[in-house]
Amino acid sequence: MNALDIQNLSRVYKGKKGREVQALSGLNLTIGQGEVFGFLGPNGAGKSTTIKTVTGQIRPTEGMAYVFGTPVAEASGRMRIGYLPENPSFYDFMTAREYLLLVGRTFRMPEDRIAAETVRVLNLLELEEAADRPMRGYSKGMVQRLGLAQALLHDPDLYILDEPMSGLDPLGRALVKRVIKELKEKGKTVFFSTHIINDVEVICDRLGVINKGRLLAVDSVANVLERGAEGYLIQISHHGTTTEEVFIPKDRLKAFMAEMVASDASIERIEPMRKDLEEFFLGLVRGGDDAARQ
Amino acid sequence: MTAIANLLYVTLKSALRDRILHAMFGVSLVLLLLVPSLSVFSMRQVQELSITLSLSAVSVALLLLATLLGASSIWRDVERRYTSSILGLPISRGTYVLGKYAGIASVLVASAFLLGVASTLVIALSAGAHPSDMPVRWPNVWTAVVFDTLKYLLLAALAMLFSSLSTSFFLPFFGTISIYLAGSASQDVYEYITGPYGKTLSPVFRWLAHVVYYIIPNFSAFNLKVLAVYGLLLPWNGLLYTFCYFLVYTALVLVICVWIFSRRELP
Ligand SMILES: Nc1ncnc2c1ncn2[C@@H]1O[C@H](COP(=O)(O)OP(=O)(O)OP(=O)(O)O)[C@@H](O)[C@H]1O
Ligand SMILES: [Mg+2]
Repeated sequence: MNALDIQNLSRVYKGKKGREVQALSGLNLTIGQGEVFGFLGPNGAGKSTTIKTVTGQIRPTEGMAYVFGTPVAEASGRMRIGYLPENPSFYDFMTAREYLLLVGRTFRMPEDRIAAETVRVLNLLELEEAADRPMRGYSKGMVQRLGLAQALLHDPDLYILDEPMSGLDPLGRALVKRVIKELKEKGKTVFFSTHIINDVEVICDRLGVINKGRLLAVDSVANVLERGAEGYLIQISHHGTTTEEVFIPKDRLKAFMAEMVASDASIERIEPMRKDLEEFFLGLVRGGDDAARQ
Repeated sequence: MTAIANLLYVTLKSALRDRILHAMFGVSLVLLLLVPSLSVFSMRQVQELSITLSLSAVSVALLLLATLLGASSIWRDVERRYTSSILGLPISRGTYVLGKYAGIASVLVASAFLLGVASTLVIALSAGAHPSDMPVRWPNVWTAVVFDTLKYLLLAALAMLFSSLSTSFFLPFFGTISIYLAGSASQDVYEYITGPYGKTLSPVFRWLAHVVYYIIPNFSAFNLKVLAVYGLLLPWNGLLYTFCYFLVYTALVLVICVWIFSRRELP
C-alpha cells in the first residue's frame, strides 16, 4: 500500500466576479512507504493547495487523494498523519504543553504516553523553556517548531509538512533536517514542500517539481545529481611550483588519471562540475514558461 | 464524543482566560450586590423589587455573555487561522462546531449557576430585612433563572450560526442583537396583528407576519419573571412545551451551522 496516493487532482479557486484560478491541474503522484519526498515549486505553484487537499482541508474540484488507502475527506483519515500547515497558528491563549495535551487526546493517546511524548518532542525541538508560557508570546520560529512538535507527537507513519523550514534560523533548519533524517531511519514517510533546493538535495530520496499547478518532473535525487555530473575541474602542480587548472569531461577521467600517474605532476584538488539541483529546477520552471509562451 | 469534550475544554479555557469576560462577570456581581440597597427605595414592595432587579441583572449578564461568546466564535478562529491547525487534526468540522458550542454552553450554564446563587443570597437578604405579606417562592425564582439560561443557550447557538457565515464581528454581533430584540417582541406583535387591529391589514402582510413569527425564536416564552416576582403557580405544561421548543430550535440551528461551516472555504 502506498503512504500517499494522489489521483488526477485538480483544484479551481473561484474568485470574485467569476474570476477563476486553476491552482492544480491533473496531479498524479504516489509516495511509497518509507520515502522522503521533496515537493519543489516557486511561489504560487500549487504546493500548499496540494497539501491542503491531501489533508482534507479543502475539497478538490476533481480527483481523489488517499492516505494509506483511506480517502482523506474523512477526519479519521488524518489519524495516521502528522501535519504541519504552512505558517501555522495555534490557540495563543494556551501554552505549548496544554496544546500538546489537546493534540495527544485528539489522537486518543493514553495519558501517560502523552506525557512522555510531550517531554520527548519539546526536548527535540528545544522548546522546554517556553513550554509553560502562553503561545501569544512566542516568536515566529518558536511557533514553527511547536508546529513540528505537534506533528511528531503521536508518532505517525506519514508526515505532511508544508514548508517545515520556513521562519527558522540556520540552527533551526539544521535541526529540522536532522529530525527528518531520523524519521527516515525509523522507516517513516515524509512528504514536504519547499522552495529551498539545498534542503531537498540533503534529505530527500525523490523530488517532484511543480509549477503553475502542473507536475513537471518526478525523479530520484540521486538520478538528477548523477545526470547533472558533467566533468571535473582538476588543479595540477608541476614540481610544487607552477599550477594549472584543467577541465576533464566525465568520460575522460579514467584516462586522465592514468596519464597523471605516469607523469611527475601532482593533483592538488578535484572539483566535480555539475548541473546541480538548482539548475535542474530552474531549467524545468523556465522551460515550462517558455513552452507556455509558444 | 471525546473530541467534542476536548474542544469544549479548549473553549472553556479561552473564556476563563478572557479579561473582558472577567470584567463582565465582576460587573454583574457588583450589580447584584447593589440590589438590596436599590430595592429599599420602593418603600413597600422591597421583596418584589429585589426579585425583579436580581433576575434582570442575571438576564443582562447572560445576554452579554451569550452574544459576545457566540458572536466571536467561529469567524475569529478562521481569521486567526486556528482552524487550519485544529482541523488538520482528526477533527471533523461538525465536531468542531459542536465542541465549540458545548464550551460556550458550559460557560453560560456555570455563570447562570453562580449568578443564580448570588441572586438567591441577595433576594433572601432583602426579603429578610423587609418581609412581604407572602414568602418568596424559591422554586419559581430558580425556574425563572433556568428558563432564562435556556433562552441564552438558544441565542448563543444563533450567534454561532451568524459566526459561521461571517468574516468579521459585525454580522454576528448585530445579527444576534437584532434577532434577540425581534424574538423578544415577536409575541406582542403577533398578538397585536391577530387581534382586532389585524383585520384592517392586508392579507399578504398578515401572512408575512405569521411566517416571521414562526421563523424567529419566541424568546418571550422563556420569560418567567412575573411568575417569580408574584409567586404564581408554575404552568408545568407550558414550561414543558417551551423546553421542547428550546431543544428542537437549538438542534436545528446547530445542524444548519454545521452544514454551513462544512461548506465554508477556509484560507
Ligand atoms: N483561497 C484562494 N483563493 C483564490 N486563489 C487561491 C487561494 N489559495 C491559493 N490560490 C491561488 O492558487 C495558486 C496556488 O497557490 P498555493 O498556495 O498552492 O501556492 P504555493 O505553491 O503553496 O506557494 P508558496 O510557495 O508561495 O506557498 C496561486 O496562484 C494562488 O494565487
Ligand atoms: Mg505554500
